[in-house]
Amino acid sequence: MDLFRRFALGEIDAFETLVRQFQRDVYAWIVRIVRDPGIAEDLTVETLWRIFRARHQFRPDGNFAAWARRIATNLALDHLRRKRPEQSLLREPAGPPAPDQLLQRETREKIQQASRRLPAKLHVAATLALVEERPYDEIADALGTSVGAVKLRVFRAVRILRKQLNHLGVRP
Amino acid sequence: MAKHEMVEHEARQIREALKQSFPPVNTELRRDLWPAVLRRLDARQARVPWYDWALIGLSASVFLFFPQLILVFAYHL
Repeated sequence: MDLFRRFALGEIDAFETLVRQFQRDVYAWIVRIVRDPGIAEDLTVETLWRIFRARHQFRPDGNFAAWARRIATNLALDHLRRKRPEQSLLREPAGPPAPDQLLQRETREKIQQASRRLPAKLHVAATLALVEERPYDEIADALGTSVGAVKLRVFRAVRILRKQLNHLGVRP
Repeated sequence: MAKHEMVEHEARQIREALKQSFPPVNTELRRDLWPAVLRRLDARQARVPWYDWALIGLSASVFLFFPQLILVFAYHL
């Protein structure tokens, strides 16, 4: 019996093999969205546990990696919705910065703030498409939507970001 | 400049601004997560199932309304 069929039947050995095979992909996908290695590890464990719990819904002839990515994306979206908006994503080096560095840091922080204020679905679409440059079909698959819908979300995210940055006095 | 060119120009500017603001993340996993997943699965399995709680609740209700049954129950233990 093949690995996916054994997993769907609840065999723990088959699940262990799948975890060792796919954990890196799941983690890499989540960390691109949440941008924090510690949180990404926790969410990866949660994703893998949910994958096991939802094993009856998996079709053994389906794409396991894409299914796992979709579960991971939903969890990452939930995390972004719950996360406090003031949490900083940027780790700055210690020591007093030069005046131009200070200006650059301020600009970066304003852009990050504006991006974090986007609705979670727009923020994820924009991060994956514009920052991580992932293919649109891959993003669409992970978000459970069409390529057209992802393009629209990215377009809306760009428009909102442009307005917010103008409001904050930042010219990218 | 045509409208679609303006939109593309705007998207390019925002893309560059975002890329500069969000430093690249290391996508390499630092440790094997299987032990943590296994602990998560074990923790879940160790939970008392709902029907055990229902049975405990039912027994408690019976003893509450018919306390004399406690003696009968104790005799049969």
